[in-house]
Amino acid sequence: MTDRYRITGGLALAGWAVLQAAPVVADMQRLDDSVLSDISGQSGLTLEMDLQMTADRLSYFDDGEGIHLEGFRVGSATDPDGQAFHLVKVDIRDDAALNLGYLVEDRRIEFGDIRLAGAPGLSMGGLFFDHTLAGSLTIRPGGAMGGVGYTFDSAYTMTGGRLGYRTNGNEVFLDDITLDVEALGVTLDVVGSALELDAPRVTGSFAVGAIRYSNNPLNHGNSRDVTTGAELPSYGGLSGAFDLSSRTSLRSGGRQGQGLRIDHEATINSAHFLYVDDGNALALRDITGHYRIEDLRLDVTDDWHGRSALGLTLGSADGEFNIGAVELGASGRSLGAVNVSFLLEDQVFNGRNYTNAIYLQGGGHPDAGEQGLRLATEWSLRLADLSYAEDGNRVIFSGLQSWGRGDVTINVTKDEVRNGTRFFDGLRIGFEGIEAGYRINGLRVGDDDAPLQGGTELLLALGFYPAYDFTLNGHVTLGAGGASGDGITINSDIRIRNGRAALIAGPYDDGAGEMPQKGVWLTDLSFDAHIRDMTVDVTEEGLAMVTAESWSTMDVGNLRLGDKLSGASFGRFIAQKYEAGSSMTIMPGGAGDVCAGGTGATADACSASGGIWERRGEEGVTIKLKQILARAADENRKNSFAWETNRQLGSDGRPVNGTGTRLELNDIYTSDGGDFDNDGVDDNTFGIRTDLSVDVYQTRVVKKTDGPDSLGVSGARGDEKIMDASAAAGYRYESAPSDADLENRPLGFAVRAQSRFKELSINNIDLVHPVGGAQTVVYGVKMQNFDIKANLTATPIP
Amino acid sequence: MIAKRLSQQILAACGVVLVSAASAEMTRLDDQSLSAVSGQGGIYLSGDISINELGGPLDNSYFGRCEEANKKCGARFAYQLKENGGWMVLDDIRGNFAFEGLTLRVRIIDSGFGGDGELFDRDVLELGLPDVVRFNDVRFKIAASSTPRPTDPGFQQTDIFSVQMRGDVIMEGNLLVFPEGNP
Repeated sequence: MTDRYRITGGLALAGWAVLQAAPVVADMQRLDDSVLSDISGQSGLTLEMDLQMTADRLSYFDDGEGIHLEGFRVGSATDPDGQAFHLVKVDIRDDAALNLGYLVEDRRIEFGDIRLAGAPGLSMGGLFFDHTLAGSLTIRPGGAMGGVGYTFDSAYTMTGGRLGYRTNGNEVFLDDITLDVEALGVTLDVVGSALELDAPRVTGSFAVGAIRYSNNPLNHGNSRDVTTGAELPSYGGLSGAFDLSSRTSLRSGGRQGQGLRIDHEATINSAHFLYVDDGNALALRDITGHYRIEDLRLDVTDDWHGRSALGLTLGSADGEFNIGAVELGASGRSLGAVNVSFLLEDQVFNGRNYTNAIYLQGGGHPDAGEQGLRLATEWSLRLADLSYAEDGNRVIFSGLQSWGRGDVTINVTKDEVRNGTRFFDGLRIGFEGIEAGYRINGLRVGDDDAPLQGGTELLLALGFYPAYDFTLNGHVTLGAGGASGDGITINSDIRIRNGRAALIAGPYDDGAGEMPQKGVWLTDLSFDAHIRDMTVDVTEEGLAMVTAESWSTMDVGNLRLGDKLSGASFGRFIAQKYEAGSSMTIMPGGAGDVCAGGTGATADACSASGGIWERRGEEGVTIKLKQILARAADENRKNSFAWETNRQLGSDGRPVNGTGTRLELNDIYTSDGGDFDNDGVDDNTFGIRTDLSVDVYQTRVVKKTDGPDSLGVSGARGDEKIMDASAAAGYRYESAPSDADLENRPLGFAVRAQSRFKELSINNIDLVHPVGGAQTVVYGVKMQNFDIKANLTATPIP
Repeated sequence: MIAKRLSQQILAACGVVLVSAASAEMTRLDDQSLSAVSGQGGIYLSGDISINELGGPLDNSYFGRCEEANKKCGARFAYQLKENGGWMVLDDIRGNFAFEGLTLRVRIIDSGFGGDGELFDRDVLELGLPDVVRFNDVRFKIAASSTPRPTDPGFQQTDIFSVQMRGDVIMEGNLLVFPEGNP
């Protein structure tokens, strides 16, 4: 092969080689039928190429607005000045199909910067993709619609892959990627004005050896630091497999003028996904589902603030996903199954229309440097149902809606104070002025057709408010490396303002149209929360989180009853928390066998003591908490609680904080009960230890009054509620339930809890008058040696 | 008006009014009234709670497991009302209790209560009391102590009296909580 031929062949195939990881489209069209007929019957061609290609800028223009990919390079992944080897074997089969066998070794494709013409001073950062690729591609004339079009069979294996994102000299990348994909019978057709790509079955598997982080600008896609030789810290690895089918339609035309329209739908026939941390896995197994994206438009345009952006605007999207088992830890036990269905679509919330759109811009956080990503984001989750099932018992949180608008910034940062802002090592996800909210309509138990009930406040047990709207600022920075080895280290500063969170909430639509939710509301809420060095690891036990230091202040301007805007107020409440060395472990499996309301390790012993023996099964969730309440370090970092009432009214008629009378519980802290290591300070290692086991389980619910209940179902006081799909309301009352009836008791959350502490102290309790000042009423409280156990079941009110 | 009357008489200073349970008036909120609040949220709780069933986490010269006759296995709660003064103590707290059907929800009262409900016309937080609460060997001591910890130097304690509870307590009706006064 002459050098001239090699160069020509290399250039002709360069574009194909660059794009082959994506669906092969443009270059394949260069071989038309006449060419195929000319070379039919030949034994084939072998093309070799060592490629190094650079371009200062690749640009795309849409209605005069441009986006530039700068610092484009294709070449060696290991040598910045080297070439990537390409080998392509071209063969024409007897059926006139073009068969390409290819090998690509040590190739990197990268962009140094992505900029918008309207904001040339800001960059979205750089991307790089390293890989070695071997595979085959067969192209036959004729698509799904007949003669016009193509049919593809493709199979390839990628090894040694890296996919990275880099800003301001810091980078996060997927390392040691392997990927096997087989896609047979993929068809490409022109249907009307659309290009239709139909993949009836795509199967494959993938593995990511590590997700690494570097803050050394000299590193660029290196697994080890080039300066120290040490392995770069890792967030952990990933692996999985998939079997899916999809159909994609591409049309010209953006939301405004030029652009691109994408319609896409896919079915996940089966899949699984694992996150692996030092050999221990969080596994999502038996994944199935489907989704549909309609009218997704791509434009180079301006966002709602007039900022230049690459706009992705969505008409609608809907789908449903099932995760058959969520497994955690070395035992492989399951927490249960999860199902989510969703509809993303334009909707009016609180009198304002929300859409689904992301406007990508350069810059990220303004103090982090010129490179970063800013996502001006708006979302409208019109409807979603989220269900959790364990041991066959299913609870559905129905009618979840969410809305919001604001900026999300993404930077890869390092531990430094830069331009006055504190940054930490890791991938920083920032939030700027995000005005958002969510609400849940009610609870259904058993199946999707079950009647809507109250009870969303059961979510409080899992740390979620049933309804919440807020303005969010702050960041969460995800650092690489856990308590030992792989894992995640989180640093975070979150500020919430204008919050309204429900402790108890009724439905927003009981079937007769939207109505104000009634409940107990934390309103005029300000919440500042700070986390330092919280490590997250998957261990043999489960998911372990250990926090070096955390502190927060929740200032509830008004605790309202009834309507969240106009309900009467109990006054102002302020809760401060300061913890050092606290931890939480989430483990699979619930309470197992429980003697509720009695004692005994066997069913007979339990029954003899007056209890009910419950077999709550293998699945469920157990949470182990250790809360070390530290002594006050300053006014912001302490544990305290205050209630203020009788505030003076401001000119706007609203109570003015700090002008009323306060009851203050000041400096609340734990201790081990003495200074056992003789360092002059009481030891504080035990804290408050709480074990919570949560199951979805049947429970006995009795009627409390005679006559019909709120849904018109009649029964006598003391009758037991029995679920019955044939009954109009989905249940009935029985005075003497049969054994079969007892198998259909209502579902709810069953919680087995044990909480212990050696010593919990309150330094002082004061009454504070706005003029007279503080008056101490209790000079100290000391609680010792507590061990509280509880078996509780919580169900919606019948 | 029930709110005004009770709020003036009971807990107006706190901004909270607690309407005593099990009164005859409470039963006047019939099912017709309840039907008006169909669909409102709320939960129904049942269960049992035990305190220091076998002992607590401390193991020292004063606290131990319940089978250790010379030690106390209950919890201890001490508070000081005077600066540098002595400590009031609830000591050796133990026992367990069980209940069925404690409900918690928000509802509007706009009828019943002998006509007062219509005038009241406000939202309340309703704690529906369980009919029966079973107490089993609930016990504690009231004492006075010279130090907050029983292991502190110079510790002296005088047990004043002991309380022990066993049996069923009938708790019928609802506890209604609502804001009152200037927040």
